[in-house]
Amino acid sequence: MAVCIAVIAKENYPLYIRSVPTQNELKFHYTVHTSLDVVEEKISAAGKAMADQRELYLGLLYPTEDYKVYGYVTNSKVKFVIVVDSSNTSLRDNEIRSMFRKLHNSFTDVMCNPFYNPGDPVQSKVFEGMVSGMMVQVS
Amino acid sequence: MAQCVQSVQEFIQDSFVPMVAVLCSEDAEKVTRKNNLNFAELLRPFCRLTSEGHIRDPNNQVQPVKNLRISVNNVCTRPAPATGSLSPAQRRLLGEVVSSIQPPEGVTANIITAGDHDLNRSLKASAPWYSAWRQTLSELSSSHHYTATTPWFEAYRESFLQSMPASDHEFLNHYLACLLVVSSSEAVPVEQFLKLSQEQHRIQHSGDYTNPRWFIPNTLKYYVLLHDTSQGDEQRADAVYEDMKQRYGSQGCYLLKINSRTSPTGADEQIPDPWSQYLHKNNLLKANSVVAENDIGSSEVDSQDSADKGDHPLQLDCPPSGGLDSLGVLPPGGPTAARAAALAAAGTHGDCLTLNDHDHIRQFLQEFTFRGLLPHIEKNIRQLNDQLVSRKGLSRSLFSATKKWFGGGKAPEKSIAELKSTSGLLYPPEAPELQIRKMADLCFLVQHYELAYSCYHTAKKDFLSDQALLYAAGALEMAAVSAFLQAGAPRPYPAHYMDTAIQTYRDGCKNMVLAERCALLSAEVLKSQGKYSDAATLLIKMTSEDSDLRSALLLEQAAHCFINMRNPMVRKFAFHMILAGHRFSKAGQKRHALRCYCQAMQVYRARGWSLAEDHINFTIGRQSFTLRQPDNAVEAFRHILTNDSQQTATQQGAFLREYLYVYKSVSAESEASLPKLPLPCIHAAATRVYFGHERRLAEGEKQAATNVSLDQEYDQEQAVMWCQLEEQAVASAHRGVVPAAFQPSQCCLNSQTDNLRTPLAVVEEPIIVEVTFQNPLKVSLLLSDLSLQWSFTPRDLSSPQQGDLPSDEASGEPITNDKVGSLVQLYITLTAARLKLLPHMIGQLNILGVAYNLASVPSEESSQPLVVRGQQDLEIRGPRLNSTKEDKTSVSHGQDQRLHPLITPPMPLMEVFFLQFPTALLCGEITKAYVEFCNVSGVALRGLRVASTHPHFFTFGGVGGTSSSSSSAASTPLSPTSAEVCSAYHTLAVAVEIPLEGGVLRPGQSAQLPLWLRGPDQEGVHEINFLFYYESAEKGGRISHRVLRHNVFICASRSLSVCATACPSSVPSADHRGRDAEDGDHLNDGMLVFVDVENVNMSEAGVREFHIIQVSSCSRQWRLHKCINPYKDKDCKLTSRERAKLCFRAARCKPLKGNHRRITPFLIPLLRQIVSSTTPCADFFFRCCPSDPVKKEGRAGGLSHPSSRTTGGHWTWGGGPIEAVVRTCNELDLNIIVLWKAYVVEDNKQLILEGQLHVTLQTVGKEAFSLPQKEEAQEMVLLKFKPDLPPPVIQPSVEQLSTLIKTNLHYPETYSHPFVHERLCVVPVTLTMSNCALAEVEVLIDLRHKTISPDSTEVHGTFTWLGQTQYRRRLRPQEVAPLPLRACFLHAGVYNLSTPRVFAKFTTPTRKEEEEGGVAVETSQQAASPALIIITSQA
Repeated sequence: MAVCIAVIAKENYPLYIRSVPTQNELKFHYTVHTSLDVVEEKISAAGKAMADQRELYLGLLYPTEDYKVYGYVTNSKVKFVIVVDSSNTSLRDNEIRSMFRKLHNSFTDVMCNPFYNPGDPVQSKVFEGMVSGMMVQVS
Repeated sequence: MAQCVQSVQEFIQDSFVPMVAVLCSEDAEKVTRKNNLNFAELLRPFCRLTSEGHIRDPNNQVQPVKNLRISVNNVCTRPAPATGSLSPAQRRLLGEVVSSIQPPEGVTANIITAGDHDLNRSLKASAPWYSAWRQTLSELSSSHHYTATTPWFEAYRESFLQSMPASDHEFLNHYLACLLVVSSSEAVPVEQFLKLSQEQHRIQHSGDYTNPRWFIPNTLKYYVLLHDTSQGDEQRADAVYEDMKQRYGSQGCYLLKINSRTSPTGADEQIPDPWSQYLHKNNLLKANSVVAENDIGSSEVDSQDSADKGDHPLQLDCPPSGGLDSLGVLPPGGPTAARAAALAAAGTHGDCLTLNDHDHIRQFLQEFTFRGLLPHIEKNIRQLNDQLVSRKGLSRSLFSATKKWFGGGKAPEKSIAELKSTSGLLYPPEAPELQIRKMADLCFLVQHYELAYSCYHTAKKDFLSDQALLYAAGALEMAAVSAFLQAGAPRPYPAHYMDTAIQTYRDGCKNMVLAERCALLSAEVLKSQGKYSDAATLLIKMTSEDSDLRSALLLEQAAHCFINMRNPMVRKFAFHMILAGHRFSKAGQKRHALRCYCQAMQVYRARGWSLAEDHINFTIGRQSFTLRQPDNAVEAFRHILTNDSQQTATQQGAFLREYLYVYKSVSAESEASLPKLPLPCIHAAATRVYFGHERRLAEGEKQAATNVSLDQEYDQEQAVMWCQLEEQAVASAHRGVVPAAFQPSQCCLNSQTDNLRTPLAVVEEPIIVEVTFQNPLKVSLLLSDLSLQWSFTPRDLSSPQQGDLPSDEASGEPITNDKVGSLVQLYITLTAARLKLLPHMIGQLNILGVAYNLASVPSEESSQPLVVRGQQDLEIRGPRLNSTKEDKTSVSHGQDQRLHPLITPPMPLMEVFFLQFPTALLCGEITKAYVEFCNVSGVALRGLRVASTHPHFFTFGGVGGTSSSSSSAASTPLSPTSAEVCSAYHTLAVAVEIPLEGGVLRPGQSAQLPLWLRGPDQEGVHEINFLFYYESAEKGGRISHRVLRHNVFICASRSLSVCATACPSSVPSADHRGRDAEDGDHLNDGMLVFVDVENVNMSEAGVREFHIIQVSSCSRQWRLHKCINPYKDKDCKLTSRERAKLCFRAARCKPLKGNHRRITPFLIPLLRQIVSSTTPCADFFFRCCPSDPVKKEGRAGGLSHPSSRTTGGHWTWGGGPIEAVVRTCNELDLNIIVLWKAYVVEDNKQLILEGQLHVTLQTVGKEAFSLPQKEEAQEMVLLKFKPDLPPPVIQPSVEQLSTLIKTNLHYPETYSHPFVHERLCVVPVTLTMSNCALAEVEVLIDLRHKTISPDSTEVHGTFTWLGQTQYRRRLRPQEVAPLPLRACFLHAGVYNLSTPRVFAKFTTPTRKEEEEGGVAVETSQQAASPALIIITSQA
């Protein structure tokens, strides 16, 4: 499962970042942050014409030594980034895709909350719980 | 990359210029020295030629040479350093160059916009922090110089390129020509020229010196005769010049006249100083390094060993030392003098030169270049070309062939493996490959790039085939550059050449300097072509561990590349900026490091990347601190600490320590005012202010009134309740009217209280402010020495006195500040600190803030915690307004005056103590406590009142009552009169005036009053609130009155349950008639009152038994007058769960007028009578027993629901008087008071408790209880949308109507009749009818009516009534009328006589009957009880 899940706003500031080994939080921040460049490249590469039918799932953004970084961009340009341990070979593309779909659905629910100000950090407990479910359980 | 001043073409051209050496005679040097310059320096500003030159290429084509620059340098013979890397001295120099150039704003340029990229572009207004960000951006663009240039980088590049050591594989920085300068003042200038010429020849060809490298063996020598017009003989100079022309030809010599000015420069004359821009920065360095240079100079002989020291480009400008000792010019004196001279040199240059002289110099250089240098180059190119062309035919193919076949037999040095490994091959100077290169370089220098490119290209091929890596790389580099510079650009820029060159330099030759140069050039070219990402990659590749400065600069340039891309890569920019900043700081360039971090900061600021932001802020803080910009440092650290930090606790602790350290150093510098601390957060809205002394809980046995205190939580309901009580007290003080200006007094202000008014505080009474701190960090904070800051305006004076530092001179202080010495430790949670102020003067006080010492909790016991003192403002924003439309649509806040109290003149202050105040009581128990009122202020008080939520709970005894346990003892009750007939209490008044002697309590006086308490009727815990009200004896203060609150909890337990019923007695007691008639009472209708008393006490162990000692009645019309006790002789004693029934006869007495009621004690026999009216019994009774239904209604509404008072109850007086009559007939306004004694065992002691219970009988026949019955669950009040229908007129019920007439049969109990004699027995019977109603009643007596009840069997037949069987009578109100009847019996036996049926109707119809046609319906009256008669047969 994921070791880090992040939701980045359209303006590239984080709405939500959660990583499992909390002592290495900075590293994950860095990973997510750098992945934004790749996301941007991928979006601009897709071109404007394709923007409407664009596949939201961006696939593997880049692999590092320890982690694989996957990206997903909603139509409103909110980015989801999931970082997965490289050693975890059981996760296939389809699973990652479904994880993103779940994340997207949950995020939509958050946005639907009339008390949520778009642009504020996500603090929903439901969302939190859903993310926790997708994270690696660290004892 | 950042924008540069020069274009790329200019930059590359200027990087490679023809080099000209200068050899100067001693005298000539002296001439130039006058201007603080040496000869080379003198020429430098004029080295760029303004006019266009021409050159013919080998094909005789004329090639223009535009904008040519030449470089003139003194000959320096010191050996060049190893070419692979820069020497330490060079590095130091480069570092100095970089650090000397700072961004224009210096440190204030915290934010420099990066490039022309608007960092704002990616933002959207939806982001919450957008507006703040927008603001900073606009500030930035308006206030700061908008710059994206990096002058330090250009300076670095320039110095770096200048300091490039000459190398073997390229000739670009080899000397092409040599200027031989001799002064005209020389004795024999021509000889001197010869000497110099020989010297030059020696330097070039002797082989002693490796360093000044010469391009071509026969270097151009140009002879310059320097003439000092101010000194020398002009004619002689001209003569010498003529001689020179003869000797060297007119194109090889020049006469330069300078120093026309004799007088020093006048102040009015402005001569431009073109040298300063060239020399200024060098001089800055010179001042530092000249001492070292001096050492070299003084020990010229061995200077070669220490040459490293001075080996930087400046040295080129220095007089040649070493072998040329004769030319060495040294300022006289020691190193200090040298330094002084150097500093002076930094001042002015060219003092003796006029503008004409400037022109002369410019002319001279033009002449030299066009007449001497360019033809010389042209000649050489042609020569080389000829050589190459002649050799071309066979050499080109032959060389390559031989090389191919014989594999490097050509290259002599190839065998030296190590050389090859480092720099490839070494060619002899005359090698044909080098000739090509040489020609290419010459062409390049004169801007013939096309030819140069082809030559470089050829050379490159040759070198590559020879595996001469260094040479090949050089050729590749220059080929690429010349390809780029070709104007027409027939071929694209070969970027791969550059890449190969860089790679070769770096990896193959390990020559970082050359690789760097190549990278700089390439990056510049790429940038000019818009290939920013390639340029950035190139630059990033060049960063390495060996040079932090270079890495930093290149990373910074790479960052600029990223931001200048078509899609600006902002994050990469920021990231590389941070990397650059890191390298800068490693290289010791603190300011640049700070600048880089600041630039990165603008990308990350407030973007939510908190960890990154924290890191940057932390670094900025540190760098700023080391750069002595503590304000910035504090600011940066504050950011880390105050923003919602996600760091770990240890990290936060480190941040905090660092912050405190920095802060301390800042605050040490600025002593003036206390700085503001960011930590901890103050919750201003949660601030509570308390006016008054802190509460004393108890004093010995005395229990102080629980006034308001800060410990209590604010409770809205309570506040409303207290406010109502106060209103009642005030109303009673103002004769029932609440003054319009009434405001409830507030002792404790918090966020929920009404803070719009200015609170009033009393002088010499403390003001306690509770400040709530919150620690946002995960580590603890230690606060100490807290004190409030305030300003004070005396009432009459307008000048405010500032007070923030509590001084010792308390006499002059208007306010004294109580320091809180104790430490407050904060750990994430909220902590409240209470700070006290004691005002000594009258005026307006404003509490401004809190000053405190902040420290971190030391992690180890060894380290002393850092303590800083600072303050924070305390500003309370009022609640958000929401009343008007503007308020709703905008965000506006009301005022909050909590912290701005007005100090008023002294007011009385009362303290109330309770003695022997019980906590648990039996229901109805009466006990005595004492209350003590103390006036602790210096002002007398009066008008003491008390209001309470349970006014029937207590009553005051008179002053001076002795503590007697007996209830009938001397303590007189407070009731208005001790007469038996007392005026009824105004039951609405919950505020009771407290009797004080004279009504005034003098300062320091105290009064003790007995206080009678009666346990509440309901069991359970009761909260009872007292509000004591008092006024100042002096009128006219700002504060009209003061209050003191007290609340107690009383636990009531069950005692007795009294249940009373009344039923009309059927017998008009004749025996009393006479006496009662005297009293004027109507005793036609008595009542029987049954009182059931049950001991319902639960604790059998505690309460032994109850004794009923007295039963009293209280009524307007009734009184108990006889006790019908079934067990007369017994004591009425009730043990647990026992029940007793008491029976009384009540008689109607003359109604008392007005509101008066009568208390009739009726005593249980055998017990002593207690005068109820002289004990608090009456008080309690009147307080809690509302006998009048109207009053009850009003009272019930009055206390709990004042609003319902107006609506009125449902209890209306029926329709007309008849209904009223009917009602009163059933009405029984009788109150029963039961006094009891309880024997209680407590702690093996027997106590006697006394108490009283009240029962109100209202309706005949209904049970009334002393214990309030459990009320049925109140129905939900339905929402009504229609107005209520008027309550239907209550018709007197049949039941009520059936009791209008009371009938009695009077007859002999036994009657003997001789049936033998007479068959019929007639017995006279009298039917007594008494009208109970107060109206005239028509009665119909029907004798025919038989008993209907089935069980009354007529065993012996019936009897009959004789005579009239139906009577009609009218009975006046309350009239008793007898009706004689006769009964006739046939047999002896027992008969029930009560067969007559009595019907009654009012003579005036009731309203309903009127409505129904006016026919009054007669109602059957209740049958009398069976009247048995025994008829016996007389024998």
